[in-house]
Amino acid sequence: METYIIKRDGKKELFTIDKIKNAISKAFLAVGAFATEETLGAILSHLRVRNEVTVEEIQNQVEVALMAEGYYQVAKAFILYRQGHTEDRETQRRLDFMMNYVQASNAAEGSKFDANANVEHKNIATLIGELPKQGFIRLNRRLLTERIKEMYGKELSDRYMNLLNQHFIYKNDETNLANYCASITMYPWLIGGTKSIGGNATPPHNLKSFCGGFINMVFMVSSMLSGACATPEFLMYMNYFIEQEFGDDYYKRADEVVDLSKKRRTIDKIITDCFQQVVYSLNQPSGARNFQSVFWNISYYDRYYFQSLFEHFRFPNGEAPHWDSLNWLQKRFMNWFNEERLRCVLTFPVETMALLAENGDIKDKEYGDFTAEMYAKGHSFFTYVSDNADSLSSCCRLRNAITDNSFSYTLGAGGISTGSKSVLTINLNRAIQYAVRNNIPYQAYIEDVVDLMHKVQLAYNENLKNLQEKGMLPLFDAGYINIGRQYLTIGVNGLVEAAEFLGIEIKDSPEYAHFVQELLGIIEKKNKEYRTKDVMFNCEMIPAENVGVKHAKWDKEDGYVVPRDCYNSYFYIVEDKSLNVLDRFRLHGRQYIEHLTGGSALHCNLEEHLSQEQYRQLLRVAAIEGCNYFTFNIPNTVCNDCGHIDKRYLKECPHCHSKNVDYLTRVIGYMKRVSNFSEARQKEAAQRYYAEPSKAPKCVCE
Amino acid sequence: MKVASFDIVFQEIPGEVTLALNLSNCPCHCPGCHSQHLAQDIGEPVTEALLDSLTGRYKGLITCVAFMGGDAAPDEVVKWAEYVRPLKTAWYSGRTIMPKDEKAFDYVKLGPYIESLGGLKSPTTNQRLYKREDDDWIDITNSFWKKNLAD
Repeated sequence: METYIIKRDGKKELFTIDKIKNAISKAFLAVGAFATEETLGAILSHLRVRNEVTVEEIQNQVEVALMAEGYYQVAKAFILYRQGHTEDRETQRRLDFMMNYVQASNAAEGSKFDANANVEHKNIATLIGELPKQGFIRLNRRLLTERIKEMYGKELSDRYMNLLNQHFIYKNDETNLANYCASITMYPWLIGGTKSIGGNATPPHNLKSFCGGFINMVFMVSSMLSGACATPEFLMYMNYFIEQEFGDDYYKRADEVVDLSKKRRTIDKIITDCFQQVVYSLNQPSGARNFQSVFWNISYYDRYYFQSLFEHFRFPNGEAPHWDSLNWLQKRFMNWFNEERLRCVLTFPVETMALLAENGDIKDKEYGDFTAEMYAKGHSFFTYVSDNADSLSSCCRLRNAITDNSFSYTLGAGGISTGSKSVLTINLNRAIQYAVRNNIPYQAYIEDVVDLMHKVQLAYNENLKNLQEKGMLPLFDAGYINIGRQYLTIGVNGLVEAAEFLGIEIKDSPEYAHFVQELLGIIEKKNKEYRTKDVMFNCEMIPAENVGVKHAKWDKEDGYVVPRDCYNSYFYIVEDKSLNVLDRFRLHGRQYIEHLTGGSALHCNLEEHLSQEQYRQLLRVAAIEGCNYFTFNIPNTVCNDCGHIDKRYLKECPHCHSKNVDYLTRVIGYMKRVSNFSEARQKEAAQRYYAEPSKAPKCVCE
Repeated sequence: MKVASFDIVFQEIPGEVTLALNLSNCPCHCPGCHSQHLAQDIGEPVTEALLDSLTGRYKGLITCVAFMGGDAAPDEVVKWAEYVRPLKTAWYSGRTIMPKDEKAFDYVKLGPYIESLGGLKSPTTNQRLYKREDDDWIDITNSFWKKNLAD
């Protein structure tokens, strides 16, 4: 019978003794000795070669055989020779990865570790960013497991690695060293410039230095975060500097020419030029972030939110912010941004409108109407609706309780400083299927895994504290981020898929609501149990930009039931056409999101824009159903031939009539070209059900 | 009169969030009809209980109920339209004349589907959508022909 060996690439090859002899002879030569046939024979007699033995196994046997025969120097040379080859193979792997990346159709597809569409083009700068990612993953795992061992013992650390390797849990953003995302207060910058975070800029003192300084400050802050940087005070501060320059009533005199240069600019033109400078600069690829642009978010507030958040705020001149001028500036910025997006694909800022609800409607009628007007004008942004101005969503994904709306002269407004230090996600579909297969009550199994996740997060937190103690986290020390207001986040993915596996129909029903509440309730219970005065946890349905794709792929490979190529980031099945728009709002309403303390976003996909009255009614729907975070997503059309951008979802360019068009849609938080998504994401985007407004039979007789 | 299916629609009645009831047993048999299955006698009979359950499910969320078809039993359409008040009501009819009880509806679409002229979205359509303002019917068909969002 012939004997085969298994090579490193998994291929089988007929076993021959010559290759081993050759390798051993080389090892002898390496130490200046010569192996005779007799010597070789003695060494080879130790080997036990069975069919389908691996190359590694044979080499291990050779090492032992050399030592057993007393050739210690040769054994050492052989070991070094193997190590050399291992390093070669590692380099070869990197080289292969590099060639794959270079040849991939777009940057998201080429990235092996972190397929993120927030990169417009691939080039040498993005490639440089990709190469060390695998190293970061190893480093982060080592840092974390060492700490877990120290705090909870080796057994827990091993279990964590097992669950991670078997894809029960997923550590988000392992390719970066920095903590995740933050909504910052800019007050320390307003008072002290960027010196406290390692820069050299003095505080902004006029509109021009505000705009320039703001851009630099956001770049600096973003380079110390792995995720988004939200600046919820951006427009409020800008308003202050405009007032300083042109008077508190500037917005009533917006058409006044105030520029003595040949351009004769009006106040309005000067302001929109500032918008342009900031927005275009921050949409540039950033060198410090491997050619990704910074991930920048801003907020708008209705009158009540504004009062609640900033009533105690004071600018350096002792004045409180003025609502009337800020109200004008918010509307001006939003309208400007909407129109500017017809000229250029501008991804950032991701905007959130914060509205207070009362008695099933938006309390501030002016802002309810304005929000509806902006949606009807085709603008794409998020809306956050809450019954109390006690929570705020300042990120495209993160909802935070405002426990503190105080103002301090060193830290600024307390309510807006927040964020997530780290996200660790449970793959509910796999966990539940595994429990069911093994006859474990799935509730108990989930609780067990979630308990471990909390310990892992606490270990992460210790590492972060350690970095802070060594002065490595100036954003915290300088007060841009308040570490006590930052969450450790338990993410969930595969919830819908898990329910489907259990035979629960995904629609508004007592059964499905019970399933969701029970499951998320387990996580919330643990969040409360592990909460201390220093550490807070929240739970979020993560926007599964690439995790949803990865989980589906891994679970499928391991034989789990996988109904689609990308796990949902919603409480409903994206491609389910039987659910209408109102059903979707209900499925993201209060009884489903109750335990989702970190939030989730309903992306209401529509094929056509609605009218202002219709959007206004949907704001009421959100208030009635308790759906607190949502956006409307109508793919915008970009012509690949003439560059024309249209806010509608069209098959043909209305300008040059080319059919070579691409679409802009939301990946998760931000608008990007569909062709920049990774392949699996593109597939998901194509399957999204954009509620076709005219799909009701065109009337019986139409 | 039977409801074959229902949906929440936005384009059919401008400015409203509409519960559209697709009525079966259509007598029109227009050539090229998009919903030929509605010519059959299918679905659930319209009853107070059925309407209560649908409007109850979307209470506060919808602003209008539209009866799509039902030309075989116009009196019944009127009766049920009056039943769902105070919600706004609409009738998508294939007939060419206004119903007698005009005040039962806030919107009425008239006209059969003629393939060569197209539906409401086609500028050459024979169909008309009217909106009632007090005692007057205003033709708002042109709201379907918007070229831009700003229009």
